[in-house]
Formats: sequence, C-alpha cells, structure tokens
Amino acid sequence: MTARLRRRLRAALLAAIVVLYGVSVPWYRTGGADTGTLWGLPSWVAIAIACYGAVAVLNALAWWLTEIPDAPEGEE
Amino acid sequence: MTLGALGVVGLGVYLALLVVIAVAARLARRDASAGDHFLASRELGVFVLFLTLYATAYSGNSLLGYPGEAYRRGFSWVMSVGFMMSIMVCFHLLAPKLRPVAIARGFVTPGDWVRHRFGSERGEGPLRLGVAVLMMIALANFLFAQLKAMGVLTAQVTGGLIPYEAGVIVLAAMILFYETIGGMRAVAWTDAAQGILMVVGLGALLAWLLGDAGGLAALTRDVATIRPEAVRVPDVTERMNWASTVVLLGVASVVYPQAIQRIYAARSGVALRRAFALMTFMPITTTLVVLLIGLAAIPRFESLGVVEADRVMPLLLGAWAEAGSLELFAAAVVFFGALAAIMSTADSVLLSLGSIAAEDFARRHRTDSDAALGKRIAAGVMVAMAILALLARDVTLWGLIELKMELLIQCAPAFLLALHWRRLRADAAFAGLAVGCVVAVAGVVLGAKRLGGVHIGVIGLVVNLGIAWLGSLGRPAPRDS
Repeated sequence: MTARLRRRLRAALLAAIVVLYGVSVPWYRTGGADTGTLWGLPSWVAIAIACYGAVAVLNALAWWLTEIPDAPEGEE
Repeated sequence: MTLGALGVVGLGVYLALLVVIAVAARLARRDASAGDHFLASRELGVFVLFLTLYATAYSGNSLLGYPGEAYRRGFSWVMSVGFMMSIMVCFHLLAPKLRPVAIARGFVTPGDWVRHRFGSERGEGPLRLGVAVLMMIALANFLFAQLKAMGVLTAQVTGGLIPYEAGVIVLAAMILFYETIGGMRAVAWTDAAQGILMVVGLGALLAWLLGDAGGLAALTRDVATIRPEAVRVPDVTERMNWASTVVLLGVASVVYPQAIQRIYAARSGVALRRAFALMTFMPITTTLVVLLIGLAAIPRFESLGVVEADRVMPLLLGAWAEAGSLELFAAAVVFFGALAAIMSTADSVLLSLGSIAAEDFARRHRTDSDAALGKRIAAGVMVAMAILALLARDVTLWGLIELKMELLIQCAPAFLLALHWRRLRADAAFAGLAVGCVVAVAGVVLGAKRLGGVHIGVIGLVVNLGIAWLGSLGRPAPRDS
C-alpha cells in the first residue's frame, strides 16, 4: 500500500469516526421518551454502544495505518 | 475468614510485592539521569506501554467515580464509553507529529515542546509557565482524587480495620517510596501487573452481578421500575452535555502530562501506534463494564446520597464477598485490582508532577545529572494532597474530574494547534490560554459550570482558540518553527 493511499484511508476512517460520534448521541429521539429494548438495553443505549464498538474497530485500523516516525522528516 | 482479615493480609502481601518491584527497578536503571528516571530511558515496548497507558488512564476516577456517576445519572452515562474512546481518537492529532520531534530533541516534559516550538519568541516564557501551572494544578487535583479513592477502598477491603485516614497515609507513603526508588521503570512494571488484575477482576464482578440480577434485560427492567427516568431518552441539555463531555475529556486528556510523557517514553513509533491500537478497545472492556456495575447498584442500593454514590463499587464488592468462600476470595482480588489501578495512576501522576516541577519550574537551564529536585517537590505535593484528602471528603470524584479538565483543556492550543499550524505565535497562544482560563474559572466561581449542558471549559476553549488564531493572523511564521 502506498503512503498516499494509507493517508487517504486513514483520513476516511477518522471522518467515519466523527460521523459515528454524531449518531451515538440520541438526537433523533424525543427527550423523556420510553423506548423499547435492544439486546436487553434501552434501544438508544444499545445504538450508542454499537456506535462506540464501531469507533473502536475503525480507530484501531486508523492507528494501524498511522506512521509515527522516530525522527523528524529530513532527519536520520 | 472475613473480608476484613483477608484484606489486611492481602494488603500486606501486596505492599511487600511493590517494595520488591521498586528495588528491582532501581537495580535495572542505567544511570541517574532525568531521562532514565522519568522516561525509563525511552525503552518501553508495546506490551508494557499498552498496560501502563491502560492502568494510568483507568484510575480511581474510573473505578469509583464512574460507577457512582452511573448510579446518579442512569443509562445516559453510556457517554463515558464514548468519551474514554475519544481520548484515543484525539491522540491522532498529537502523537504522530509530536513523537519525532520529542525523540530528536530529547524532551522530558510537555514544557520542552513549548520551549522548542516557540524558541525565543515573545510570549514563550509566560506560555510555558502557564502550561506548567495548569498541568501542575490538574495533576495535584488528580492526585487528590486518587488519595481519596485509596482511603475509601482500603477502609472497605479491610472491613474498617484500617480506617480511611490510615489508608491514605500508608498508601501515599508507599507510592512515594517506590516512585522515588524506581522511577518510570517501577511505575510501568507495577502498572502492567495492576492492569491485568483490574481487567480480570472487573469482568468477574460483572458476571456475578448480571447472573444475580437474571441477565441484562432483567437488570434494565429493575432499574426502570425503581427509577424510570434512568432509562428514558435524555433531554436536550443532557444530550448537549454528552457531546460536550466527549470533547472535554477527549481533548483535555491528550494533554495530560503523563500521557504526553508516555509518547516520549515509547521504544519506537511502531510500539506506540500498536499500543494505541490496543488501547482503543479498552473502553469496551472496562468503561462499559464499570457502567453496568454502577447501574446494577441502582436496584440494590436505592437511596444513596450524592457523595455516598462514589462508594457503590466497594459496597457491591462487600455484598459479593458475603455470597460464599469463592466469592469472598474473588471480591478480595477485585478490591486489590481496583486499589492497584488507583495506585498506578497516583504514581504516574506523581512522577509527572515531579518532572514538571523540576524541569519547568525550578530549573531554567537543564544541567542536572539526577532527578532529586523533582522527587523532593513531588513529595511535598503528595503530602499536601494527602492532608487535603483527609480534610475534604465531601466532594464527588466526577466533580473533581470536570474541574480539572475545564482548566487542562486550555493547554490544548499550545500543543494541538501549534503542531498543525506553523503561524501560531506564542503571545497569541498565551493570550488565548489566559482568557480561556478566566472564562472557565469565572464560570465555576459564578456557579455557571455549564451553559445549555456545554461545559464552561469547552466554551473557554473556543474563545481561547479564537484569540490564538486572530492574534496570529497576518503575521509571518517564526523562522525556527
């Protein structure tokens, strides 16, 4: 994989993470409402956990693609 | 055997083990330099680095404060999983750019970055001092919270045989001993052992709680029956607070001095990114588990007070210990896992505190061959925080975290913006930091800690960034940046 492709893929993963954070907060529900359950949890909680699970996977991939050089560019 | 007797014996064994580790770390040191003492000669590999990051990030706040907050707030505290994970996301803004410079220039403290980045620019001195002061305040606050948690847990694990006050004093003295003797090496080794103990212990406790409650769905039903508002969709203010907390904790935590110093201490960039990749899963295995433990306390203890809620974890462990011999032993293991996690955070904090005090405050030009000054200053702060922990007990752990983060987040532009924007000037960054702090402190003093759910520290950060940006616009980039 080229360095350029790695950088682009990493940027795409980080953008997806930001979107998942937006979705994890239940903006789409009415405050104070009782919701059904999903996986034994209130559904809005289960969705938040699913989002954070996805963030964990994407973020681990993003770190895998991250270059952390041991010297500044142009230095040995 | 009772939990109290088992606790006293276990505590004795645990403290003896810490002494052995400290002595071994002392024998393993390469020289008496600050780099060896505070950064273990920059030789931490993936596994130890991961566990030390883990044990440092998951502290008394996570183990006592977060279950307490879950008990108080209900299911909306699922935000804690998100904000703990956001820390590992925000590190993308810091680690890849900071690490190479830090290694090339031999940084020891966060202040070394500010000194390097802004050179002899006007405003560099005040900015470096301002950053150091804020970090010292945050670390002292963090240390205070750990001491408080240690006292609570020791009293509980020994059934009151060792009271809160004695727990604070004995364990504070032990941390001071092994940190002074063994430095970062002893801290990292103890962190590694403590991290393993914590994961295993918390998993076992959750399994027992869910089994006892009849499963996750039954637990949710029980909580809904006793406190219906705890399962309902949070209102707009709470949702804004959720988003604000993710930003506050995510951004502020990456400028924690002990976190920055682990970036410096990694053996290589590869080791660092692998450790970060592993760390990103830990909110699922730890914070989510702790959330469920806090929620399981709602049906069990119906009417704990606001401050008393910080004791739900010890109370649950006490109940677990009474269920049988095996449970007694398992509860003791979790107690020590939690205690170990708290101590591992406290020792990391103490180490950072000592390094900043010695390198950024007391010494203008680094010419030292040892870290004695830092040790002495850290010891003084430790004693002061121990006294405070004995006197001020009526404050919640989450309250302490928020207060600390509101100030610490104001350091972010000096690192995150400075790393990514060459034109940022020291005087503008300092003006932003000063005004951001004034906004945060004024909010706390005037009782307006949140506006529409948004933390006053986050609002202060926006003002801070605006001033730093406007103050640097139209000016040429410093030649040596």
